Amino acid sequence: MNNKLTVLRTEQLKAFYVLDVQGTQKVAKAVNEVDLAIYENEIYGIAGESGCGKTTLLKALFNDIILPLRLIGGKIFYRIGWDEEIDVTTLSPEEKRKLRLEYISYIPQGSMSVLNPVLKLRETYEDFIASHVSGQSREEIFELAYKQILELGLPKNVLDVYPHQLSGGMRQRVTIALAALMKPRIMIGDEPTTALDVVVQRGVIQMLKDIQKNLKNTIILVTHDMGVHANVADRIGIMYAGKIVEEATTELIFGQPRHPYTQFLINSLPKFGDKNVRSSVPGSPPSLANLPSGCPFHPRCPHVKEICREQMPGFTQLDENHKVACWLVGEGNHG
Amino acid sequence: MTFLKRYLIPRLFQYFLVIWLGITVVFLIPRLTPNDPVMRMIGEMRGRGSTLEPGAMDGIIRDLTQMYGLEGSWLDQYWAFWVRLAHGDFGVSFFQFPTPVNKLIATAIPWTLALLLTTTAISWIVGNIIGGLAGYYSRKGWSRTLDAIAMVIRPLPYYIFAFSLLLLFAYVVRWFPITGGASLGAIPSLSWAYIKDVLWHSILPALSLIILGGAVNFQTMKLFVQNTNSESFVQYAKMGGVTEDRIVSKYVIRNAILPQITGLALSLGQIFSGALITEIVFSYPGLGMLLYRAIINGDYNLIMGITLLSIVGITTAILVVDLTYPFFDPRVRYN
Repeated sequence: MNNKLTVLRTEQLKAFYVLDVQGTQKVAKAVNEVDLAIYENEIYGIAGESGCGKTTLLKALFNDIILPLRLIGGKIFYRIGWDEEIDVTTLSPEEKRKLRLEYISYIPQGSMSVLNPVLKLRETYEDFIASHVSGQSREEIFELAYKQILELGLPKNVLDVYPHQLSGGMRQRVTIALAALMKPRIMIGDEPTTALDVVVQRGVIQMLKDIQKNLKNTIILVTHDMGVHANVADRIGIMYAGKIVEEATTELIFGQPRHPYTQFLINSLPKFGDKNVRSSVPGSPPSLANLPSGCPFHPRCPHVKEICREQMPGFTQLDENHKVACWLVGEGNHG
Repeated sequence: MTFLKRYLIPRLFQYFLVIWLGITVVFLIPRLTPNDPVMRMIGEMRGRGSTLEPGAMDGIIRDLTQMYGLEGSWLDQYWAFWVRLAHGDFGVSFFQFPTPVNKLIATAIPWTLALLLTTTAISWIVGNIIGGLAGYYSRKGWSRTLDAIAMVIRPLPYYIFAFSLLLLFAYVVRWFPITGGASLGAIPSLSWAYIKDVLWHSILPALSLIILGGAVNFQTMKLFVQNTNSESFVQYAKMGGVTEDRIVSKYVIRNAILPQITGLALSLGQIFSGALITEIVFSYPGLGMLLYRAIINGDYNLIMGITLLSIVGITTAILVVDLTYPFFDPRVRYN
């Protein structure tokens, strides 16, 4: 598996919100020393509770770090060609803009208000396309857009209407279609299914899977919904308080979760035939502005040991596709 | 057509209903006050020292009662009132006795229209352009400076501001004339000398209106743009790599301008009430001045004439907004 090509990689990524609250600096450590290696042709899921830094991590991966979010340290690499990795944090705003939609595209949460209410979808499409290609190829892409709309099962007059004339599910599909339009190598989805009812959710998930299968690209999907992850993701990273605490293939995460937090997440899912009351994770997630010492999960962990309060564990590689940062599992690698 | 039935007809109905109600109130109010205009007029005549025979007095009272439209029951009066209105007859002014109200309004209206149309247009256009840019680049130094200036100007009471301008530029440095719409004795004509004279007289009143009106437009537009700038559809367009000029014009300004269009139409409707304080401070011969004198002298017919004009002006402006708004904002169409 490790001979797979990484398409997006971070090294010790640290992105904090630095806020000035009445003269005192408040730092929310939303993304804290995250090492990710995301492969080509996979769907990578990022899971965790609300307020654990998922969306911020996504923004950082998308290289969209704007105040008050600041890149404190670390690097973000995109593989642009076959063997050329570039550190995108050093790019100019115009270079960043050009990568968007063409190389890496974004599927937003809450499609309700992401489309300009006073423009027909055709004009929105036109703006997105014309910002990246010019002249003749623009018309080709429009033709492509029509073809894609039909392929994805959207009504063919969808471009002739205003956003408010579409249902929430339809709007979400349009944003996905738009994200896939220029065949980007990476697509990033921030809770694209959260605002939808389960029936529509299923359709949207299927659409994402179809697109990925078709383009053989990479989708990074953030959602708190473990059910969605189970359906879509090839690999899952569990995030807690700004850190990835466990990462493995979907089968391993659901079959043999090792981190106590992951175990809680899995056990809180309802199962067919099991009528027991599901228990949730005790306590509530820590404030990112005031993290506990050592392992940030220790105040909620039922197996807490002395060392958990003092030191953050490093990753223990259980096998090729499974790593955990927990003192219960191993010492970890602190290099 | 459903547009006609659902949209146009209800609004036209509303338009005429409001005008009818407004005019009826205008009819009722003077009749509900304990002030009898006929006896007041007689009192004034006596006050000036004129003595009349009882027979002649009765004749005058009868004539005045007829001229005021105060003959018969209220219902008769109301009917006669509408008949006169239908002929475009507002009666004669009491203060400038035999001159018809129509003629007084007709002389005052060009002054007010010329002054207020230009100042409203200039302050709207300039205020919105600068406010829009300042809102989009709200972090820049020049934007903050402009904001601070507007913050100082806007809360100034208009009469103090206008009076200070007059004192400074007409009394202390004497660049501009101190009163009037044109030089005394100048004969209205289309000659260059007369136009220059009128322009020269209008600079101070216009300046006072443009500066304050511009500051208001600047502040509101800046706020609208800042709000729109944080809307999801603007963020989404940025994440789709849409070029900045497209985002500014079609996403930010296009949406932020919507409430300002309503504001413009309403202030255009208010033109027909004149600019009361401006015209008093600068002794400008417009509708506001006329209304002011009519109120001071209890000139009912004149007050009614101007009030009717402003009722029709404002309701027409609202009707125009209502009918054109769907053109600017597709969300209100067909609802």
